[in-house]
Amino acid sequence: MSSHPSTAHGPDAHHDDHHHNPGFLWKYVFSTDHKMIGIQYAITAMLFLAFGFYLMMVMRWSIAYPHQPLPEWMSFIFNDGWKARWLLDGKVTGETYNMFGAMHGTIMVFLGIVPLGFGAFGNYVTPLQIGAVDMAFPKLNMMSYWIYLAGGLVMCASFFMESGAAKSGWTNYSPLAGFADGQIVNQWLAGQTQWLIGLVLLITSSLLGSVNFITTIINLRARGMTWMRLPFFVWSMLVTAFLLLLAFPPLEAAGIMQLMDRVLHSSFFMPSGLYTGAQGLADLSGGGSPLLFQHLFWFLGHPEVYVLLLPAFACVAEIIPANTRKPLWGYKSMVYSVLVLGFLSFIVWAHHMYMTGMGAAVSTFFQTTTVLISIPSVVIITALLISLWGGSIRFTPPMLWACAFIPMFGIGGLTGLPLAFNLVGLHLHDTYYVIGHFHYVVAPGILFGFFAGVLHWYPKITGRYMNSSLNHLHFWPSLICMNLIFFPMLMQGMAGFHRRWYNGGDAYMAKTQDSANVFANTVAQHIDMNLIMSYGAWAMAFFQIFFIINLFTSWKFGRKVTSDNPWNATTLEWATPTPPGHGNFIDEPVVYRGPYEYSRPDHAEDFIPQWHKPVAVTAPVTDPKDPA
Amino acid sequence: MEIPYIVTPRKDTGLFNSKIAIWLFLASEVMLFGGFFSAYVFLRLGADFPWPERTLPVMPGLINTFVLIGSSVTVVFAWASLKLGNWRMFQLFMGITVACAGIFMVLKGIEYNVKFHHQAVRLPDFTVVEGHLAYEKDEKGYVLNHHGKKIEENMIFVEAKQLNFSTVRFHKPWVEEFISQAEHRNAKILLASDLNLVTEFGKPAVTIGKANEPLSVELLAKIKKAYLAARAHNAELRTDALRLAWREKKAEFPDKKDWELTRDVNVDASKLELLEEVSTVTFNVDPPAKFEFKPRDIKEDATSSRLRDDTVITGPLLPSPMVFHHMDAVDFRHLAMRAKAKGQDPIKAIDDSWLVQNNPFVKKAWEWNKLQVAKIEKELIDGYGRDEQGKPKREPIAKERYRLGWKEFAAIAEGKDRGDADIKMREEFLGPDYAKRGDETFPEFSLPREKVAFASKFTPTWNTYYALYFTITGLHGLHVIGGALVLAYYLFFGRKMFDENPEWLANRVEIGGLFWHFVDLVWIFVFPIFYLM
Repeated sequence: MSSHPSTAHGPDAHHDDHHHNPGFLWKYVFSTDHKMIGIQYAITAMLFLAFGFYLMMVMRWSIAYPHQPLPEWMSFIFNDGWKARWLLDGKVTGETYNMFGAMHGTIMVFLGIVPLGFGAFGNYVTPLQIGAVDMAFPKLNMMSYWIYLAGGLVMCASFFMESGAAKSGWTNYSPLAGFADGQIVNQWLAGQTQWLIGLVLLITSSLLGSVNFITTIINLRARGMTWMRLPFFVWSMLVTAFLLLLAFPPLEAAGIMQLMDRVLHSSFFMPSGLYTGAQGLADLSGGGSPLLFQHLFWFLGHPEVYVLLLPAFACVAEIIPANTRKPLWGYKSMVYSVLVLGFLSFIVWAHHMYMTGMGAAVSTFFQTTTVLISIPSVVIITALLISLWGGSIRFTPPMLWACAFIPMFGIGGLTGLPLAFNLVGLHLHDTYYVIGHFHYVVAPGILFGFFAGVLHWYPKITGRYMNSSLNHLHFWPSLICMNLIFFPMLMQGMAGFHRRWYNGGDAYMAKTQDSANVFANTVAQHIDMNLIMSYGAWAMAFFQIFFIINLFTSWKFGRKVTSDNPWNATTLEWATPTPPGHGNFIDEPVVYRGPYEYSRPDHAEDFIPQWHKPVAVTAPVTDPKDPA
Repeated sequence: MEIPYIVTPRKDTGLFNSKIAIWLFLASEVMLFGGFFSAYVFLRLGADFPWPERTLPVMPGLINTFVLIGSSVTVVFAWASLKLGNWRMFQLFMGITVACAGIFMVLKGIEYNVKFHHQAVRLPDFTVVEGHLAYEKDEKGYVLNHHGKKIEENMIFVEAKQLNFSTVRFHKPWVEEFISQAEHRNAKILLASDLNLVTEFGKPAVTIGKANEPLSVELLAKIKKAYLAARAHNAELRTDALRLAWREKKAEFPDKKDWELTRDVNVDASKLELLEEVSTVTFNVDPPAKFEFKPRDIKEDATSSRLRDDTVITGPLLPSPMVFHHMDAVDFRHLAMRAKAKGQDPIKAIDDSWLVQNNPFVKKAWEWNKLQVAKIEKELIDGYGRDEQGKPKREPIAKERYRLGWKEFAAIAEGKDRGDADIKMREEFLGPDYAKRGDETFPEFSLPREKVAFASKFTPTWNTYYALYFTITGLHGLHVIGGALVLAYYLFFGRKMFDENPEWLANRVEIGGLFWHFVDLVWIFVFPIFYLM
């Protein structure tokens, strides 16, 4: 346990660690240690990611083979009753496809990537990198995790209810989402309602988390850790936390209003005169606005993209300098870029809504801001790229992933540019092009960044390296599969394939005999890509097994690290014992220099950690500022 | 291990941790309420119905405003008392703060409660009638249902001959309600025919239910169980058969693509060992009896109606009028707005409306109001004059032209002018005193079912204005309760900390006080946009 010097008495002693030998429950389950909470987040998020991936595999079956029963290797997890309810003669129905599609998006975004990036990496690494003993509010941190878990479980529990889980897409647009599951008498037990309850819980969790992160970063920095000495990782987390803090509440408002619409039959998002085939003229007052929901949703939705992305940037920005043995190129411009990115992300949301008829003036405004936001993103990605230039690159396992991140994210980002323009948007809206674009950002982009992060900090967390051969078996096939899955999507999308076809365009195939039917013939030219993508997805699942094996076996059998700083890196997390105990640092750390002092010509070693006291002969002495 | 800067501020930032946290939290709260307020602006600007302006009683809202502002002052005094080390003063001021929160919530509760019991109905021509419902009254004048419970709902009556339950979807409480209502009307609900099912292929049928067995949840549960088993069994067989058919077809045409084979892959279901799936089950009502349903649960039709759980009720729809015990307002604003949009004269449209034509009381009131509007028009011209085009500078507002509220009804009964009725303070808070004013002021009113286009209490359901009102004030109320609980905790359980570390307690009260100021600030926005604008 910590031998961190004690400086104050009284109330602060209240936070002393009472459990010098805490039981299993307190150490691993109800822990208030930011590192254990980070690991809890990581494991939970990876389980959700696996589940979300599974839903997608079923969807890909429906797209590739819409008229054939789901094979047993995918359907074995359902019991017979569930299969009878949700599959038609074993085939995936449109309703089930919609349910899986909505939950795939929701799980991947809200339960997978955000908790993994912000909750897991942010929690584990941020306090270490700023030299803090823990988060500012450890109990709040624990609550944040448990509320997140509750939210996720509430959402997923609805798979087993009569209504099934939510089916209105991860964007949950009203009025569709207001009506869905309307046949369920007790609306609190409808999947669509539980989605909203889960969402409100998740937003509460991220609110607690972001307040905690920002307070920690502002107030618990170590002595000498001035703002411009913060690692880029910490800057990214700070901006991410602000995005979560300020962008999520409007969605919470929208969620509460939609909940009112569903449970108390209000008409926030229900226009007048709504008529549905199943329910006739809606027994509602009307007078609401579906467009309002879209505005509130995307006010979160776009900053959310950067909430997903910035933690990946953060990981890669730490890994690249450590493996090129060069300072991060353009550290300051990256910091300013990430701040600008955070600000701009609040004023681009309506580029998701070009098709709603908001008007040319509004579209033009959002088109302009959207093009503007590409500038800071390109600055960051270019800085990362230039950081490689002239470095003596060590292709360590994390570095492989970080190197792949740059072009993969590049494709994702560049394919987004055409979508910024509202004229092009009219053609590409809701096609597979959009799916290809944002999956390139999230899957081979962000996820690769996270794999890099896992490999990079694994030695600190466990004291052992992950296996390099297994990593190669995981990395190369994943890189190939990712492109097999997502590149054809861009082509299909430009041909006009709609993102919500549950049968992959099969419905148009009957019309191909009609030579005048141009669209059916276009579909015929591109429909076989469905098979490539689906096999890519299933192969992808297979090669993730190597990662899972690697993750668990290395914990016990991996090569042991020989020092506390195995990568010879410069930031503060490597100053801790391995693994760090509760309280993190043996001695209170003091910071003397910036975060990326690699290969200084006036220094014998190729790195100078932030915490090394300057020696007069080798480095000019500047007294660290004394903030505390 | 200990977290620094819990009590003493960090030197370079000048802040202790929780102070940063509360400001961040409040920033987030601003965005939350900002979301709701922008929804207010969006929905009000886009409203396709007349926005109910100045419809809430101002007096309770005004009192609440001052109560909250006062409590924001006292919470600062409470904090200052702690800084001065005076526990008694702290107790006094914090006590006042918490008491203010109590007053606020009580007034809010009264305001809500009045609306929960106040019914509105929109006719097909967009006339709106408001009042209190009557159904079956007991000797005290309460409205009761057959359970003997007070209800305020306009029920729909069906004379049921036959009930058809969905085997999987039947809603248990509704089945129990059927049984209870049948008992009340001395009728029996009996299974229409014997239900013998084969639960395993090749074995003899098992009797699930016999003809004339009375309806029970257990019986339906038994049928559901058999149905689910049969469905799962059949699905498995059909899946296997389809899989086999595909395998054979692919072996037959190895060169063809799957989508080219789709239409040729067929499964002959008659060759499969399928079990019978009973998806609905029929019961007879003997003798046919009157059943009542809440309007939202049923899609009624002349001969056959359907409940939301897919129960089909066969039998004629009985007259189900909506009866107002007291009608206390008639609102033609929506009607006038629609008429104007169509280029018609709103006055003529109201003259011709169904309600004015068919209800002598409303006709009389409407004629009275025309005279009142003329009087107001004259007063405004006398007071403010005309502009260059000869138009009056000020004109009566839509509410004065087209709405007859309870105060107008009172004025008519008292023989006074609009706005001159004798209204007691109690009535300002709780609504009109129906017992005292009686049926002459607020007459009984019956509306045939086909004239009900949309009906609701004054709840979030009625329109987006009330939806916003209840959501925003409700959320604000939750903040008041939450804040008051935290402050009350410091008041009742803070003594120990005061003795050990008064600075820390002062910090906590400061944080609570900042939150309390925010709650006050939100109300400063809520009050004008809902009560005054």
